[in-house]
Amino acid sequence: MSHVVQIKTQVRDAAAVRAGCFRLGLDEPVEGELKLFSETVRGLGVQLRDWRYPVVFDLTTGESKYDNYQGRWGRQGRLDEFLQAYAVEKTKIEARRKGYSVAEHRLADGSIKVSLTVGGAS
Amino acid sequence: MKTIDVVVSPVGATRVETNGFTGDQCRQASAFLEQALGLSQNERLKADFYKTEVRDQQQAQQSS
Repeated sequence: MSHVVQIKTQVRDAAAVRAGCFRLGLDEPVEGELKLFSETVRGLGVQLRDWRYPVVFDLTTGESKYDNYQGRWGRQGRLDEFLQAYAVEKTKIEARRKGYSVAEHRLADGSIKVSLTVGGAS
Repeated sequence: MKTIDVVVSPVGATRVETNGFTGDQCRQASAFLEQALGLSQNERLKADFYKTEVRDQQQAQQSS
């Protein structure tokens, strides 16, 4: 092992968003102008389970907008769960694009480990 | 065998670890994932990274 990098996930890939939704059994994401409580925003909307309003991702900036009224209109855990699903699916998409083999394992702490095999013995 | 392990936490934060690479190869190998997933926050070099770099430098000095 030679290096470890920590990454803050940014949602920028519509295909990985769709795959994340499918993985969690959510409806297909919706592109366009989407209404939150007090504003209308443009982007790719994901309707999380038990959330009153969608989470809207700006794929250009990687930013997200939502109004869950400090948890009353949707638990943060549902958004965390989606971000995890997105990151896993994005990793798998990028790995397959490179031709790497992929194996996925769920760890005891709830993390998901995706192992990419790059090539033969060094 | 060269592998890249990506561990995604329950809150969606990601840790990328490279295994089996020598020296700076690991950075090149995982750069595509780091760019694809989001913002790199910090990088920690493992002991193997430095050992390989030192050996490479020694070999370069001996051959020059």
